[in-house]
Amino acid sequence: MLELVNISKRFKQKYAVKSMNMLIERGEIVGLLGPNGAGKSTAISIMSSLVEPTEGDVYFKGQSILKKPESLRKVAGIVPQEIALYTDLTAEENLQFFGRIYHLKGAKLKERMDDVLETIGLTDRRKEVVKKFSGGMKRRLNIGVALLHEPELLIMDEPTVGIDAQSRNYILETVRRLNEEKNVTILYTSHYMEEVEYLCDRIYIMDQGNLIAAGTKEEIKRILSGEKTIVIKADRITESFINEFKTHPLINGMNVEEKQVSIMVAKEVNMFADIIKLADKASLELNSVNVKTPTLEDVFLHLTGRALRD
Amino acid sequence: MMIQIIKKQCLMIWRNPAQLFLLIGLPIVFILILGTALNQFFEGETMRIQTKIAIIEHNSELEQADKFIQEMGKEAGLKKEQVASLKENLPIQRLKSLFYSKELSDTIDIKEVSEDEKDEILHDNTYSAIIEVPEDFTYTYLAHMIKHKKKIPQLRVIGNEQQQISVEFIQGIIENFQRQLTLSVFMSENKLDEQAMNIPASLFANNRTTMDQHEPISAKSYYTVGMAVMNALFVASTIGIIGFREKETFVFNRIILANVSRWIYFSGVLLSTVIFAFLQLLIIFSFSWLVFKVTWPNLFAFFLITIAFSMAVGGIAVLLTAISYRMHTERITNFFSSAIVAIMALIGGSFFPIGDSSEVVRKISELTPNGAGMVAYLSTLRGNDITDVSMSVIYLCLFGVIMIILAAFTFPKRGETM
Repeated sequence: MLELVNISKRFKQKYAVKSMNMLIERGEIVGLLGPNGAGKSTAISIMSSLVEPTEGDVYFKGQSILKKPESLRKVAGIVPQEIALYTDLTAEENLQFFGRIYHLKGAKLKERMDDVLETIGLTDRRKEVVKKFSGGMKRRLNIGVALLHEPELLIMDEPTVGIDAQSRNYILETVRRLNEEKNVTILYTSHYMEEVEYLCDRIYIMDQGNLIAAGTKEEIKRILSGEKTIVIKADRITESFINEFKTHPLINGMNVEEKQVSIMVAKEVNMFADIIKLADKASLELNSVNVKTPTLEDVFLHLTGRALRD
Repeated sequence: MMIQIIKKQCLMIWRNPAQLFLLIGLPIVFILILGTALNQFFEGETMRIQTKIAIIEHNSELEQADKFIQEMGKEAGLKKEQVASLKENLPIQRLKSLFYSKELSDTIDIKEVSEDEKDEILHDNTYSAIIEVPEDFTYTYLAHMIKHKKKIPQLRVIGNEQQQISVEFIQGIIENFQRQLTLSVFMSENKLDEQAMNIPASLFANNRTTMDQHEPISAKSYYTVGMAVMNALFVASTIGIIGFREKETFVFNRIILANVSRWIYFSGVLLSTVIFAFLQLLIIFSFSWLVFKVTWPNLFAFFLITIAFSMAVGGIAVLLTAISYRMHTERITNFFSSAIVAIMALIGGSFFPIGDSSEVVRKISELTPNGAGMVAYLSTLRGNDITDVSMSVIYLCLFGVIMIILAAFTFPKRGETM
């Protein structure tokens, strides 16, 4: 349905996206992952026909969108990371404005507005000015605007940033329903690995403008099939304890959280003795040591050297 | 599509009462303050004098005249008609009739009092002056005029020091009166027409006309125009700011992704500014018409100027929008509204009449759209013909077109970084 062929985008001397190839099939939910500055937003701008690439081309249903962007624009809905709404207008007025610019009018527009408000759960708040909405409600309306013209393809750039868990779940369910019930093809980017794991059939991982991995969730996880993750929980984590792990020759990756350190080692390596010794040396009291199969987050960490939310 | 953009812009401004007040309320407040405060300066009005004076005659003027006719009438060879004319033109009578005239009676309250009351009046602070007619004043005057004997007598003015302006005013009238008496004697001696010495009523009238005999501009009219053209420039910055916010929040991109041409958006911004500026000017001028009775002698010219000026404002708005899109900052729009508008208003003559300045300043003033707008509006208010404002109207349209062309070149095209 949508294909990026050897796309590069250069700003002055710096590449934001470099030789990127990507394919999204009809009816799929595809995740695009990458840390901040990886080039995701530039890639989204290119595939939504907003920015022209320096090299390469984007094809929608076999047609170049560089030459004919309207073929994509008519059937694509874009949910930007920003709240791209008129906050001084009501939810209904926003939908009316964007509906009209998508050439919807009269009974059809009203029907679509009612349907969208129902889908995003804002029917009873339709007359309220958007600036009075909570963050979650704004996000839902931000999605709603992109659904007005019943798009075949929905490009969502971190649609759940900065909202509460309840609104987030609502949005995730909505995305899933759109895909299952209306067969909407979705490209989804997020900082939350669990969202991508929950929603996406296939995943692309970007870093520093390059596509570094692609495949189904299982295929991606298989990148670390020869490894295991050890999660160490202690009463506190000290700098010296972290440094000991950093310089340890058998550790392939590490992620530090408040009172927890996750390390990646080869499956056959036994690290228990070393962990206890290093904890003792750093005068830490260990609470638990667990071994688990690597998650997508671990793969991401392994590939980029950074956690997704860094 | 453009209608949707205009409708949306309307709603955005309507939902922003502070902005609405800045665009409509503030100019009206300015007109009220400046128009009222500087009205006297524009009207050329002096301070209104209300004065009370007393006139004391030591003896009857008519008796003096009779005495003169009796003693010197035959010697001077006065005929019956001349005696009648003499009695009708006695100097103190003429002075009193001047004070009682329509022109001065509103200003001067005159009381004829006896000599006995002089002390009492001198202590009465409500009186500005006492005009004391010396004894045998009229007799002496007639003797000088007809027999060329004796000196011309002088009236005495005793002024109240606490009412200096009124005293000077009365003294001026008396000095003028004395001069007229002297002139009268001179004319009589030389047998000139005495009609010439009559004091023309226009001396006291306060009619004002301009050099070219057109209607003068009142302060309220001037500041209605000055504030209207200045504040219309804020419509440009308001639309510029809305435009940049649309870019910042990705709304503009959303519009473009809905397959709306950026030139339709650009035209929507232009058209909405023209409409808003036009409506804003209409509201301000309607207010002035209702409250200050500022009327337009030529409505067609008025609408023509308003449309041309709105076009110029529209041009500025699209240029500001285009620059802020190009530079990725609204600094230029903020700078325009916080500094450039004030400078343009100053140069354009919104705060004081620029006509008093040098030719160079006047020319620069007319180069600003608000200055050109002011020239055209004021010319129409003065009752000038539509042809007199045609150059300003053409200039405003050209200014608008140049701004639009510059904006079109500046506005980022497809493929450029948004």
